[in-house]
Amino acid sequence: MDYNFTGCGYTEEELFSRVDHNDLESEKITAPRYSYWHSVFRVFFRKKINIVILAILAFVILFAYIYPAVSHYDEFGNLTNASAKHLTPAAAIDKFGFDIHWILGTGGAGQSTFDAIWYGSRISISLAFICAAINMTMGVIVGAIWGFSKKVDIIMMEVYNIIGNVPYILFISVMVMLFTATFWTMVFALTVTGWLGIAYFIRTQVVIIRDREYNLASRCLGTPTVKIALKNILPFMTSVIVTLLATEIPSYISYEVFLSYIGMGLSEMSLGRLIYASETAMVTPGWGFEFWSPVAIASIITVVLYVVGQNLGDASDPRTHM
Amino acid sequence: MTKYLLKRLLHGFFSIIVVVGIVMVLIYSLLDKMQIFALDSQYNRLKNNTKVSYRYSRWEKYGYLDYVTYQDYLYELANSGEITEEERSAAAGMGRTPNKDTEKAKEYIAKFTEHYKNMGYTIERRDAIMATPKKVADGGQAILFAYKDTPLIVRAWKYFTSLFSFDNINYVQEDVGERGLEFTLYDPVYGGEKFSPAIMGNGTNHRYLLYFDGTFPFIHQNLVTLNLGTSYSVNQGIDVFKTMTNTQGGFYKSQVTYPTGLTELSADDLHTATYIADSRESSKINSDRFDSDYTNVDVVRGGFSKIGYSFVIGIISVALAYLLGVPLGIIMARKKDKLIDKLGTVYIVFIIAVPSLAYIFLFKQIGGAAGLPTTFDINAPTTLMYILPIISLALPSVANLMKWIRRYMIDQMNSDYVKFARSGGLSEGEIFTKHILKNAIIPIVHGIPGSVLASLTGAIITERVYVVPGAGNLLTEAINKYDNGVIVGVTLFYAVLSVVSIILGDLFMAMVDPRISFSDKAR
Repeated sequence: MDYNFTGCGYTEEELFSRVDHNDLESEKITAPRYSYWHSVFRVFFRKKINIVILAILAFVILFAYIYPAVSHYDEFGNLTNASAKHLTPAAAIDKFGFDIHWILGTGGAGQSTFDAIWYGSRISISLAFICAAINMTMGVIVGAIWGFSKKVDIIMMEVYNIIGNVPYILFISVMVMLFTATFWTMVFALTVTGWLGIAYFIRTQVVIIRDREYNLASRCLGTPTVKIALKNILPFMTSVIVTLLATEIPSYISYEVFLSYIGMGLSEMSLGRLIYASETAMVTPGWGFEFWSPVAIASIITVVLYVVGQNLGDASDPRTHM
Repeated sequence: MTKYLLKRLLHGFFSIIVVVGIVMVLIYSLLDKMQIFALDSQYNRLKNNTKVSYRYSRWEKYGYLDYVTYQDYLYELANSGEITEEERSAAAGMGRTPNKDTEKAKEYIAKFTEHYKNMGYTIERRDAIMATPKKVADGGQAILFAYKDTPLIVRAWKYFTSLFSFDNINYVQEDVGERGLEFTLYDPVYGGEKFSPAIMGNGTNHRYLLYFDGTFPFIHQNLVTLNLGTSYSVNQGIDVFKTMTNTQGGFYKSQVTYPTGLTELSADDLHTATYIADSRESSKINSDRFDSDYTNVDVVRGGFSKIGYSFVIGIISVALAYLLGVPLGIIMARKKDKLIDKLGTVYIVFIIAVPSLAYIFLFKQIGGAAGLPTTFDINAPTTLMYILPIISLALPSVANLMKWIRRYMIDQMNSDYVKFARSGGLSEGEIFTKHILKNAIIPIVHGIPGSVLASLTGAIITERVYVVPGAGNLLTEAINKYDNGVIVGVTLFYAVLSVVSIILGDLFMAMVDPRISFSDKAR
């Protein structure tokens, strides 16, 4: 038979060079290098849409934190100026001259709607991130213990059944009435029992994985429980936790909006408060901007956060790394 | 199975009791007692000592404490015959300060103090507040009273023991003639000619204990009354359960034949008659119409009750959600990664991520632009006004169902039994509807009783946005008005529904999936 290896781009020398046996080389296991987080981001950025959404998210968050810091927003600056209230963007630009403050018109106190929604976004995003951080940390730790120990399980199930039946609104309103409705009160109210649901979810996941064969084998070999939890089970649940985080963060923004709407929200001008305050503007012709702007920005923030989180959750599942 | 159910019910009972206990701690112990007066205009009008006595009498009504005034104590003594009326009025004359008390008053004040001190009460005496050296200021009369905080255990015990009250023929204390129950086949409310069995009582609180009428559920009883808690500000003096279940709206008038034979156009519902002592004699209107003191009747109103509206809207939207969500989820799973799946996913993301308030307003705006009524009017009911609330409630549930059905079906698609069915030559349609669906639907079935029962509690935002007079806002309204009785009652109602729906869900699941068994023997 006539093989033409030189046609494959190999030189004559390469084809016929002598390879010696090397003890050191033969000990190496030649698997492709695998780094978990590297693969996560490789999979995540493979979809072009993710880059776009991440860019929007980064823009919104940066803008929400930087813009209020550099601009001067005075909510009651135009309070006495009756002709400055409830203006459409065109009318506001007409009146005050073209400036970024007025591109969304003015609200009921003559304040700039554009400034108000970014101040509100900053508060709402901070609230969502802080609550999610506290609840997820508590939830994952408690859920892991809950799933592992059968004794804890019996007690925690009762606690879960009881706390789950106390109306959540009641908890929050009592907190709000006990202390004043400041930012940190709201964080406390949303986290005092909020971790329980997450812990229950994690507990169920842990129970499912706990008794798999590889964990049984690991236990038989004498691995301590803490190590099983950290090395065997936690990596398995990374994608579950990221996916959960993706639903949790937007849900706090939605929940804050809901609470403000029923009159139990923050005293600060969060997005929810803005929507609540401008509710009457929805039905009034020409006032639409001051109502729909905070609604739109709240929706954009939550949708973007949710999509990024879901896709990151998908990417952090090692089964997608092939 | 029965044993298991009983155990679950007992557990549920225990949870409910603890939940009510926690709620009582939250609202009675943690919150400032003064907050109930925040919206009380009468309290702000009162001055000096009358303000104090009003405050304590309100606190007693709201269930915070037990409160007895010196005057009440004297009246009680006089009623029991221990002292005569003259002695009572002599003892009642308190001085402006303790030094100025008469001898008689001093004696009884000492008795009062000792009596209640021994029972653990705190005695408080407030001297008269003077406007001028001679004249007592407005509302500044001297007062003497005893009070004792109600401990949580006592409050919870009282609440649970008075939850159900049973009507009996010795209920009325006054003389009502011959007490007893009477069974009739021809209900006098319908003129005594139409066949309609009823049990009527004399000496009972309700005149009619069991009767039939034309409204759901057709047979009604007044034998057992549920007392969830009395309202003080939301619906004053009315029990929470009645607040939720009584009809609303304008009067619904019909020809009513009263017990005396008088017939007129009226909204009175004679079946609800309860006893009020001497009410027939004291009013011409009553003596013309009634032949006994059972004169206190409710009126029939044209609309549904709070629960009624919530349930009608809720149950239709639940049915709609399952009818739409399940098939759509199946289609999404079958056409995975095709256009329809992607469109469905966009919809699901929209509903989950966007604040519910935002899309409800969006639907309201769109519906309003399409000419649908956006607010509810109970006095001019149309079918159209139900459409927007139902859609607003159904759309999120549709998304939720689609998400889970798709997830569960895709999880099942790689199972061995599916591969086997495929290799056996079954069509994809058969595999999906006969094999995969049966397995994927099991967790969905678990949620059905929950969503049906949850429609009784109503939806907070939807009902607010569309001004539906439903039960959804009862809790928030009660919280805003510091109505402790309603808060506890509504919480109990919610807790019972949630416990029952989880147990029913498990039962349903066991019915659908024969592999699931709750009896100990099978394992």
